[in-house]
Formats: sequence, C-alpha cells, structure tokens
Amino acid sequence: MTAGKMKGRGQDLATGVGYAELCVTSNFTFLTGASHPEEIVARAAELGLEAVAITDRNSLAGVVRAHAALREIARGIAAGGPVVIRGQAVQGEAGAAVGPLPRLIVGARLVLQGEPVEWLALPVDRAAYARLSRLLSAGKRRAAKGDCLLTLEDLHAGAEGLILIALPPDPLTGAPPPTELLRDMLRRFPGHVFVGAAPRYDGRDTARLAALARLAQHSGVPMVAVGDVLMHHARRRRLADVLTCIREGLTIERIGRRALPNAERRLKGAADMARMFRQHPAALTRTLDIAGRCGFSLDELSYEYPDEITNGEAPQRRLERLTTEGLRRRFPRGVPPGTMEKVEKELRIIGALRFAAYFLTVNDIVAFARGRGILCQGRGSAANSVICYALGITEVAPDVISMVFERFMSEARGEPPDIDVDFEHERREEVIQHIYETYGRHRAGLTATVIHFRSRAAIREVGKVMGLSDDLLASIASGSWGWSSRAPSREALVELGLNPDDRRLSLTLELIAEIIGFPRHLSQHVGGFVITKGRLDELCPIENAAMDGRTVIEWDKDDIDTLGILKVDVLSLGMLTCIRKSFDLIAMHGGTRWDLETLPREDPQTYDMLCKADAVGVFQVESRAQMNFLPRMKPREFYDLVIEVAIIRPGPIQGGMVHPYINRRQGREPVILPSTDLRAVLERTLGVPLFQEQAMQIAVVAAGFTPEEADRLRRSLATFKRMGTIGTFRDRFINGMLDRGYDLPFAEQCFAQIEGFGEYGFPESHAASFALLVYASAWLKRHHPAAFACALLNSQPMGFYAPAQIIRDLRDHGVEVRPVCVNASGWDNTLEKRADGKLALRLGFRQIKGLREEDAGWIVAARANGYPDVESLWRRAGVPPAALERLAEADGFAGMRLNRRDALWAVRAIRAPKPLPLFGLEGEGIVEPQADLPQMSLGEQVIDDYLSLRLSLRAHPMEIVRPHLPGLTAHHDLASGPLAVSVCGLVITRQRPGTASGVIFLTLEDETGVCNVVVWPKVYEQFRRVVIGGRLLKITGRLQREEGIIHLIAGTVEDLSPMLGLLGDLGMEAIDPTEGRGDEVRRPVQARELPGNHPLRARSQRGMRHPRDQAKALFPSRDFH
Amino acid sequence: MGRRILSLHLPRLASDLAARHSGRGEGPLAIIARQGRGDVLACLSAAAQAQGLRRGQPLSEARALVPDLATLPLDPAAMARALDALRRWALRYAPWVAAEGADGLVIDLTGSAHLMGGEGLLADDLMHRLAAMGFEARLAVAPTQGAAWALARFAPGPVTLAEEAREAIGPLPMAALRLAPETVAALARLGLRQVRDLTRAPRGALARRFGADVMLRLDQANGALAEPVAAPPVAAPHAVRLSLPEPIGLTADVMAGLARLLERLCQRLAAEALGARRLRLELRRADGTMTQAEIALARPMRDPAAMAALFARPIDSLDAGFGFDALRLSAPLVEALAPAQLAGDGRASGADALADLLTRLGNRVGLDSLIRFLPADSHIPERAFQIASAVHAGAPGAGAWPLGPERPLLLFPPEPLAGLTGAMPPRQLRWRRRVLSVVRALGPERLAPEWWLDDPAWRSGMRDYWRLDCAEGPRLWAFFTPQAPGWAVQGVFA
Repeated sequence: MTAGKMKGRGQDLATGVGYAELCVTSNFTFLTGASHPEEIVARAAELGLEAVAITDRNSLAGVVRAHAALREIARGIAAGGPVVIRGQAVQGEAGAAVGPLPRLIVGARLVLQGEPVEWLALPVDRAAYARLSRLLSAGKRRAAKGDCLLTLEDLHAGAEGLILIALPPDPLTGAPPPTELLRDMLRRFPGHVFVGAAPRYDGRDTARLAALARLAQHSGVPMVAVGDVLMHHARRRRLADVLTCIREGLTIERIGRRALPNAERRLKGAADMARMFRQHPAALTRTLDIAGRCGFSLDELSYEYPDEITNGEAPQRRLERLTTEGLRRRFPRGVPPGTMEKVEKELRIIGALRFAAYFLTVNDIVAFARGRGILCQGRGSAANSVICYALGITEVAPDVISMVFERFMSEARGEPPDIDVDFEHERREEVIQHIYETYGRHRAGLTATVIHFRSRAAIREVGKVMGLSDDLLASIASGSWGWSSRAPSREALVELGLNPDDRRLSLTLELIAEIIGFPRHLSQHVGGFVITKGRLDELCPIENAAMDGRTVIEWDKDDIDTLGILKVDVLSLGMLTCIRKSFDLIAMHGGTRWDLETLPREDPQTYDMLCKADAVGVFQVESRAQMNFLPRMKPREFYDLVIEVAIIRPGPIQGGMVHPYINRRQGREPVILPSTDLRAVLERTLGVPLFQEQAMQIAVVAAGFTPEEADRLRRSLATFKRMGTIGTFRDRFINGMLDRGYDLPFAEQCFAQIEGFGEYGFPESHAASFALLVYASAWLKRHHPAAFACALLNSQPMGFYAPAQIIRDLRDHGVEVRPVCVNASGWDNTLEKRADGKLALRLGFRQIKGLREEDAGWIVAARANGYPDVESLWRRAGVPPAALERLAEADGFAGMRLNRRDALWAVRAIRAPKPLPLFGLEGEGIVEPQADLPQMSLGEQVIDDYLSLRLSLRAHPMEIVRPHLPGLTAHHDLASGPLAVSVCGLVITRQRPGTASGVIFLTLEDETGVCNVVVWPKVYEQFRRVVIGGRLLKITGRLQREEGIIHLIAGTVEDLSPMLGLLGDLGMEAIDPTEGRGDEVRRPVQARELPGNHPLRARSQRGMRHPRDQAKALFPSRDFH
Repeated sequence: MGRRILSLHLPRLASDLAARHSGRGEGPLAIIARQGRGDVLACLSAAAQAQGLRRGQPLSEARALVPDLATLPLDPAAMARALDALRRWALRYAPWVAAEGADGLVIDLTGSAHLMGGEGLLADDLMHRLAAMGFEARLAVAPTQGAAWALARFAPGPVTLAEEAREAIGPLPMAALRLAPETVAALARLGLRQVRDLTRAPRGALARRFGADVMLRLDQANGALAEPVAAPPVAAPHAVRLSLPEPIGLTADVMAGLARLLERLCQRLAAEALGARRLRLELRRADGTMTQAEIALARPMRDPAAMAALFARPIDSLDAGFGFDALRLSAPLVEALAPAQLAGDGRASGADALADLLTRLGNRVGLDSLIRFLPADSHIPERAFQIASAVHAGAPGAGAWPLGPERPLLLFPPEPLAGLTGAMPPRQLRWRRRVLSVVRALGPERLAPEWWLDDPAWRSGMRDYWRLDCAEGPRLWAFFTPQAPGWAVQGVFA
C-alpha cells in the first residue's frame, strides 16, 4: 500500500491518519459478540476504515461470512446499485456512496489456558494462516466440543508468521504488567509482537493508555491501538447485554456490572480513534502498518481434491475408463447416440474444470457401500448426469429427466458440482468411518452447521432474560406457529390478549427480532464431507463433534461454497434401509434377489395401486395430501411420479402451481405455453413451472439472465435472508420478462415461484432420485406386501405412520399378522410361511415397549425347542425379571397357554421386591396354590395391547364403543349413502399445515377404515379444546366426494374420549394411536422445526438437527399441505 | 370397647388456605407446583374443578381451557403450619391428634366421642366448624386408622361412620390401602383393583410377589395389626418464671431476679444448642397489672452476664407501681448456636465484637435505626450502593466494593448548571451560587442508562462524567448529556 493511496481515503481531517480495526469480536464468539460478521464489514466500509479484522475467540468460524459480504458489497458497488447487507443498506456518511472498501484481515483471538494475556493472531500470508489453523485445530481436538485448549507452549511452537498483539489485563486494576512475557515473545518472534491498547471510556483512559505506553516502552514491544469491538453499531448494546445474560444464566435485573456501561465498544471511525489516541498517534498509524503486512486473503485458499485413489492413473483417464465400462454394462445393446453425446460433453467439462477426482471420490465411496451391501442412491444435479448413471451412483436413467448441465457446473464459474448420496440410515456410520479411515482425520472432516436462534429459542431465552413468566412465554411461543424466523407480530400478540404497547414486552419483542438469526453454536452437518489432498487442518480449524468418532470443520456449507471447496454429502435415508430389508426378506423366503437396478420398470399394477391412493408406507407419497393428490394425478409412468413428488410442496403450493397443473392434466384447461422460447423448458410440466431448474431456465430464456446470473439468483435466494440482496434481482427479472413480451402477471408469478423455491427449493434432479424410491417402495408394497410391511416395521422409526397403521393396512390387504410370542418371535418382525404357502407377519420383540434388544437376543439364542414355562425362560435365557414382565404385559406367553394375567402372576413371583428366604435360586420349588385372578374383558385386553405394543390385533377400540353410540356411519360406508353423516373414530393424525391458512386436517380411524376430516378455522375456534385434546372424536358434518376422495367437512365436533373408559380403567390414557406422530396440533414444535430442516429445502439448510432425528426429518410429507 | 379412630381429610387445603388469605370470591383458583420443567396444578378450588380442570394437569393446558384461572404458587410450609394449627385446634375433641400426610389429621376418639354427644354429633360439629373456617373436609370414623383413612378419602360421602372395618373398606379401590402407586398399578394389571380382590389370592403368594407391605397395610386396615395414633409431644416454650413471696420495686432487686432467670434460661438454651435473638421479661405487679421489657440481640447469644447488662436500661425505666411479685423471662426468637471453642483471652472475636456493639447501640436507638452502605451491582452511580440494616447485612466487609473509576464521597440528585451546553468541560461555572473556576478536568467516563429500566432521571440519555477540580476548593463530579446538551453536578469528592 502506498502512502499516496492512504492519503486518498479513510482520512480523518483533524489528524490526517487512517485507521484499521484489528480486534473485532463477532457473534461467532457465541453469546458474546453482538453483530454478524457481515454487519461488521459493512459498517467498516461505511466508516471508511482501511482494514478490519475478524478475531473471534479461538475460532475462524465467522471469517468466511465477512469475506463473502465484502465480496457482495464490492459486486454491488461495481454494479452501481445500492448494496444491502442483512437488510441494511450500506451507505457512507450522509447517504453518500461507499468509497474504497476496507480489506478483511483474517484472524483469531487466542485465549490461552491460565494466561491473563490474550493474543490477537493475524496471519501475514498463506503459510502463517495454515499454522494458525493447525494451532486452533490442535487446541480444539484435545478439548470437548465447542472448546479449545491452548497453552503458551502451543503459541511458541506454532505462531511463526503471525502478527501477535497482546491484550494485557487492564493495568488500572493493579495487575502486574506482563513485561517479561512480552519481552520473551518478542525474542521468539521479532518484529511480530505488539501490545494492544484499547480505550474503555471510563474516565481513566488517559492513565490507562499511559500505563500501556509505559509497558510498551519497558518491554520494547510497540503499542498499537485496537477498539476491542463487540458490535458494529451502538444500538446493539442492548443485545450484547442480553447475550451476556443468556451466557451467564441471569435475568436482566441481575446483570449488574456485567452489563456494558456504555455503547463504546462499537466499531469506530478514524476520527474517533484519533481523538482517543491523540497522545499516542503512533499507535494509530501502526494499525495501518500491521494491516499492510497482513496480506493474506481467503481467496488464496487453493483447494485440491484427493487423487491417490487413482493408483497413478490420471484422474481424467480413469474417469473416462470407468465411464466407458459402466456404459457398456448399462447399455448392453449399445449406447444411444444422444446419450453418447451427453457423456462426451460432460467429460469435456469435467476435464476442463478438473473435477474428475471429485467424481472418482464419490464413486469410491459408493463402491465401498456396494461392497458392504449397503444400499445407496445419489441425488443432486450432478448425480443425475450420465456419468453418474454409468458409474452406478444413481439409478435414474439419463433420458428420464431433462438435465440442464449448466445448472451444476459451468465453465465460466468453475463452481463445484453437487452430489448427495443417501445411504441406509442404520448403516451410514460405517460409510462415515470408512471415509475417516481412508483419508485420515487430518484430511477429511464433516462440515459444520451453524445453529441459529430461531423464533422459539429466541422467545424462550430472551423472554427468560427479560423476566417474562413461563406462561406468557409459552403462549407467545405457541402463537408463533408457522413463523420460524420472524418475531411475533403485533396482531398475533393482541390475539393472545397481550398488550403490545407495554414497554417491557415491546422491548422484549424487539430484542427477539434482533437475536433471531444469531449463531448459537456449531453443530455437525448431517453428512457433508470435505476431503482434501493436503492437510485439512491447514485449510480450516477442525474440532470434535458431539458424537464420538466424528470431527467437524468450523465452516458450514455456505462458507465452503463461498470458497469453492468441494464436499460430498453422505446422508442417511430410512427408506433405503427399508427397501434393502425388503429385498433381503424376499430373497430369504424363496423369492428373486432384487436390487434397485433389476426391479421391473413401469409395472402397470404398481401404478394402478398408486392411482387408488393405496400408499401407506410408500416413500414420499404416503402423506395425506399426497394420498389425496394421487387419484387426481393418476400416475401412469415414472415421470408422473417425479412430478408427484415435487408438486405437493410449499413452493409449488404457495406459488399456486397445483391447480393449473392438475386442471391441465385432466384436460379441463388448455395447455398454453407462454412463448415458443419456453416450450422446451415447460412442455413436460404442461406449461406450469414446478422445478427449480425450470425457474432458472425461465430466468435465462425469458428474463435475459446469463446462466451464471441465474445461478447467483438461486444462491442468493437460499441465503437472501442473510444477505438481503433479493430486491435488485426482482426488478431485473420482471423488467427482463416484460421487455421480452411476457405479461406482468406471468412474470410476477414466475418470480414469486422462484422466491418460493428459495424457501423450499425442489430441483427436478432430486425429485427424480426420490421418484425412483417411490416406485421401488410402491412396487414392493404391491407385489410383496408382507415383506414390505415387515421391513418397514423393522426400520422404524421412520415415515408418517405408526406401526399400528402399517399393520392395519397390511391386514386390510389380506395378510395375516401373528402376535408376539416368546417361542416364535425374534427381535425384528419376521415372516412365517403359512400352510397355504402365503406369508404371515410375526410381530417381533422390537414392538414391545421397553424391551431391550440384548434381552430379546438371549431369548432367541436359548430357545432351542421352545420354553415350556416362564420359569424356564428366566433360567435359560437369563433375562432380567423386568424384561419378563414386559413380555407378559405384551401377552407374549400366550403360546404356552398362559394368559396375560397368569403370566404376570408367574413373573411377579420371580420379580419379588424382596425375595423371601427359601425361594432363592437354590431354594426348593414350592407348589403354590393357584390364584383366582379375574379374567380380562375384551376391552381390557385391547387396552393392555395398546399399553405394551401401541396396537392391538384383537379388536379396534371403536368396536367396543360403537354399540353405545347409535346413529354413526362406519368409515367404509362413507363412499355411498347420504352426505350428512356422523362418524366417530380415534384420531390418528392431526395436522395444521402452514400453507392451509389455519385449516386443521384430522384423520380418524375406526374398525372399518379411516376418514379424512377437514376442520375450518371457524369450527376450530368453536371446538378448539376438543379438536386439540380429543382422542376419540365424534364428528358430524357433510361429506365431499370428488374423484374417489372423500372428505368430511366438520360441523360439530364432540369429544367422546371418556367413552374409552368402557374398555376398562386405563382406556383414556392407554389409547393414543398417534404416538405423538402426525399430531402437529398438540405439539406444534415439531411442525415448526421440520420444514426448516427439510432435506430437500434449499440445499444449504439441510440437516440442522441431531442425526437421531434425521429419520424423521427425511420424511417431510407430513410437514405441510 | 374397641378403638374408634377419626380420619380427617382436607382435599383442598392449599386452595382453601389461599382463599382464606386473599378473601377471594368464587372464581376458579388453582395452586400450582413446579414439576419437572413445567408447572402443574397441585390443588384446585371447587369452582376450578367444576370447570373440568384436574389435579396434575399442566398449567398451560389448564390455561387454555380456563383462561380466567387465578393461580398461586404452592407453599408447603404454609400448609404445614396451617395443618399444625388445625391439629392443635382439634385437641378440643380428643387428646391424641396427629397430622397425617400433608392434608389430613387423625384423631383417636376412643372414649371421648360421648363428651360431644356421640360420634354423629361430633362429626357434624367438626364439619360445621371447619366449613365456617372455609375448609372443605371429609371424615370417617372407623375401628382402625387404616380403615378410617381409606373411608375418609375414598368413601362416597363426606362423612362415614363405620362400625366395622373389613366390610366397609372391601369395595374401595386398592389405593385406599396406602400402598405405593407402583404396587397399586401392578396389582391392577393383574385385575386386583378393589381391596376385597386381595382375598382372591393366597396371602403367601401375594406377599411373595408384592412384598410384605400389602399384607401389612391390609392387616392394619382390618385391625389385625395395631396402629396407634402417633400424636406429637407438645414443645415447651423457652420461658422461665420466678414468683416472689413479697413484691419488689428496686432495680437492683429486679436485676437480681433477672440474673437467676437468665441463668436457668441460658442453661436450657445451652442444652439445646440454641441462642436467643430476642428476650422478653414480663413482670406482674402486685395489683395484677403487667408490664414488660424487651431486648433484641444482633447475634444469637446465651451469655447471662451480657444479656443482663442489656436489660439494665429498659428495666430502669419500668414503673414498678406497688412492686412486682412475679417475673417471667422468655426467648420468643431463638437461633441455632453451636457451642464455641473459647479463645485464649476469653474475648469475643472481631465480628462478634461488632455485633455486640451493634446490640448495645441498637438497644438504645432501636436496631432498625442502624444502617450501613453496601455495594450494589450497577454501573449507575445512584444504584451502585444500597442501604442495609446494619444488623442483618451479614459480616462486615460482605460484598467488597469494586475496583473501578473513582466515585465521589457525597452524591446528590443532579443539580443542573445553567447556560452550559458545550461538550468539553467548562472553565468557569456557577454552582450553588458560587462562581468556580475549573483548573483540572478528568474524564470523561461515559455511562449509558440501564436500557431495561425506564428511569426518569436518566431520560436525558447517556452521560459523560468528569471530575472538575476547582481552584476554589471543591472537586465536583459533573456530567454532560450529549443527547440533550447540558451539564449538571451530581456529587462532591472529599
């Protein structure tokens, strides 16, 4: 940097000195910093700083965001438009345009164990950055998750090339000046050590700076001015205090002196700093010297994909060879010429961008899984390339969908392709550990996911700090249904009976709104792996994950995208487990050995079944909305399934795409394509844009975007909340379409849809991969219902329905289901051959609540020819009496002619609270007089079945209740007869989708079938308590029958749950067939959480939850509509 | 004659108490208790129950059902106190009364019911009196405590008089046997739901499976095993008395009597490892009128000599009239005081010495009049200290004053300085009708208002505090408010 340039900008008129801020704590020092890194660089640009460093506590987690924001500002200025960062326009003093931008200095604030002096570490070049990253990795790897253990020795060993600025404790508190320490560091790193002086604005700064200057003088370490910044703007002081309270577990009344006394720890301009340091001008100019020396930029992080798997063969050569081999296998009768052309084009681009190693890595992982018999399936835009089909990464044939190759890779951008691979959810860990083993932990790591404050957490935590009562918070939070990233609106509060003008409440709400989006902590991404050729810890700090055996890098998916680093998504999918288990079961019972590739294609019987909405358990289309849509959609070929999967989504629903599409499909509306240009884009979906790719293509074809711009539009949609850059695109898009002769409504509709995709984007390539699993699971259900249901039960928890509904559906299809039996069941559910050659399902021990797999294993292992009585089971299998009690409660001893109570009686003798003397293991067998226990009624049996198994094979509770309730229509009679009916049944699902404006959907079940009920908001208000709380509901209303779909529009709702008492004492408590699943109305938490974590949503958002919840998250169909 | 036990159950003790205290009317009221992460209803008023609420229900659910539900937190200590008061009150019916659980009493009526005209009239009287006090009650009289307990809680009517135990409790649910809930649930799973169902199985087999407790409780209820009413002994107050053959009137005589009383009282306190915090001397004059002298102590104490010295002043001011013929010394407030190791010089430690000083001062001017400053946790000068009672604020030096920017000795409400609006400290100012010239200004220390409070004094926004050293002597603590330009003086340094 030349002196002349320095004069030109960032000057303070009074002193003629610029300023570079070298100490900024962003909110990636969790619960401490009060501003986003983006806001800090934007503010730095406004203030005209020379440079700004992001120095979070032992972390580099926030630097990429700052880097991206700076790039965004630069791009915005170059485009001449206003720049908006996180919803705030970036502008200089008095609205003037921003001048030359500050440089970003990457750094960290090192807090060492047991050292009062903290150090700012700023790397001067790439090599120093690598050392800093390794230093942090070492500290993090030896500490628990989220922590970092560093010592002075670590710093001595690994700080070469780092500018080290000491932040000594306040000299005015009487702490001894660390003169010796500074001298020692200076001796080790000459020219790199400084002492930082930060004003505190407490009236003693003159004395403080003088003391620090003395320290500098005595130790020989030069003094440099730092701001010790905590926020970008003074208005964040309140939030900083709230964060302190959350961190320390305080209410705001008790924060006391831990509060900031003033708002001076904000980012300041050169003039302010010059005033503070008027006695020490050299400390100020030194910031510029240091900034000048820190030449490292994140853009220098070059990234190379690992290539040792090629065995010396050049990656591109190897990819070509494997592709050719694969094509020969896929197309035994010769590759079609069109496909060949595509392959050549793909290979050419991959060659040009040198991504061959990436494809080979994915191929290696998939090959490993195949070798272990783990079912897997690739998806994502690149996954549906012909190459991936040839390599066996995906089973979706390239001719099925209209891939746009530029969507995932363009030569101009050089941005990485995107392949996600789903594995069986029970066995994904094997794949993950394989990756760690193959590449080593120093080269492979999971990406992080930044857990942000979302509305519910924000309400809870801020509310607690502000001293609102739990009740009040609960009611605000429960009123927050449907918004996850907004604060509650005024209207919502009035509705809750709160006074929005109350000072404390409105203050709280402002703070809630402000804190939403703040990072809370880092968590691991569900499966995004970054694998490098060199050391990964020189690229980014690595830390331990909460789960044993996992390591995570500090950056999340967006950060990696920003820097152009490749990752492979290793995800888990419950349905793959289920399909693999189905294949195994079929083969085990004498059927063909199927796999995804050999499954018969386009089987008409399978489509017939789907057209009847007979889809319980089928991947993706089993939800109620999907089941309602199936008879209207009438899928007849694979591409119909692709559309089916994609259309019942918030994006298309909110974009108003569903009705036009179905009307056109049914021929009730002509198919009009807006222009011939768009024919190629929209023809397959009858002129209605449904997929993300189509939205992008419209942007290119109809609005005149370049493909790169369209892709940038897509990306900014995914992150527009963070960046707030959507507005400029909107004008360009609509004007572009108007210029090309499209009408305004169509243009606005297209853009609205693109916005919808930003929230819940669904690309065709994902839909195609999922449709394949829809087809496979439907085919299994149609042709091997017993095996499919068995596999489904053995893969639980997954899917939309509880075991009770899966078993009910199976019995409706004529398959016998046999009860749990200690002499016949295994841990898993199994299939048994019947005398007539058909298969029956035997319930396994896993269905019994509270029984452990280990105990079940012992029972099976010691079974031999069967157990004659309870005692022998206890002695031979050696299971604890508690497990015997579980078995007895599940009526598992019925096979030895012991009913439930007699078995329990026998078990209790073993499980005495205090064994009586003489009854011990060696005691004499005592013949006890038989107890005369009361026999159970049918109702009591059903209750005990539900208590233990959550289902009953004996009878449906309604069967016992019905004789007491005259005038009801059974559910299987709803298809004919009068339209005004009363029905009664157990509630099995209860949904309140965000897209349906307050309508509640209930599904009732009786002994004859299910009934779908629609409760309009008015009726809901009237019967709110019953609708939320009832388990057995009687609903009177009018039926709507359309195209084979029957809905009951509720008029009155009655809670008949007390009638369950007719079954026996515990009736009401015992019978809850929803098991909490599918019941969003009573537990809105889940309903809110799920859409955000939807795996197919904007891909950046995938999996922000713990892996054990993943299975649930991967079945999104219950979330909306 | 067999034993007759009365069991009294107060199902709404908590809510009835709350209603008594608040004088609240008929509205639904629930007493809530913390359970796990949420609040649940622990006790309901009749009105709340009529609205369909039940015990154990989560508060949020109850709120959704009954929006105008009034709630109060459960106070187990208050309940226990109330129950103990009722226990003492119930001694009017029989000499053996004990508390049973948190919401019941058991009274051994054997041989005393006829004094009230028989069990029926006694029960009516009891119920009427309790109703007048605002308590809902259920009671049962039976030959055994177990049966009475069961009937009071599970019989259909509020009053049950059972001549015989076994038949009376047969149809009651199993829970009536005072068994652990798990045992009740386990028995229910076998279909054994009523007390009489226990006869379906052999005793040995039942005991083997469910423990001896089931049979113990059954036998107690049936009367096969005795279960006496364990009425607690009455705790004697800490008081000693002295009757005099002749009235006395001289201070010295009273002091001498007091010394004898103190000696006895302190012996008793020492035996119980207690110390007195307050002592009251009641004196009866020869004409039957009473007077009294009282002292308070800053620390628990049982040193007769020191206490006697404190009594000297109040006794001196007593009016002896015709002379005193009886003295009673009591310690209404006692605290635990472990026997202490004697120090070599036999003198009180520093903290005790200060406490003794406070005691001496306090007994002259009143202990409440002794105050001291303690640090408070705030950046705002007005709120950075608190005034606390000198006696109750703990040991001296509790809560060290923070090391921070200097604070003036004298702090007063801000006194605006007219005519000054510049941000930099003035060279000259008029304060309290003096013209002062500033020779040195130290600062600024910037303090922003505590944003979560709406303090009227801080509505002018943040303040830049300066120390202004004036040539005339005063060193002022003044501040400038940049958001509403102006200066004010808030304190003076020593």
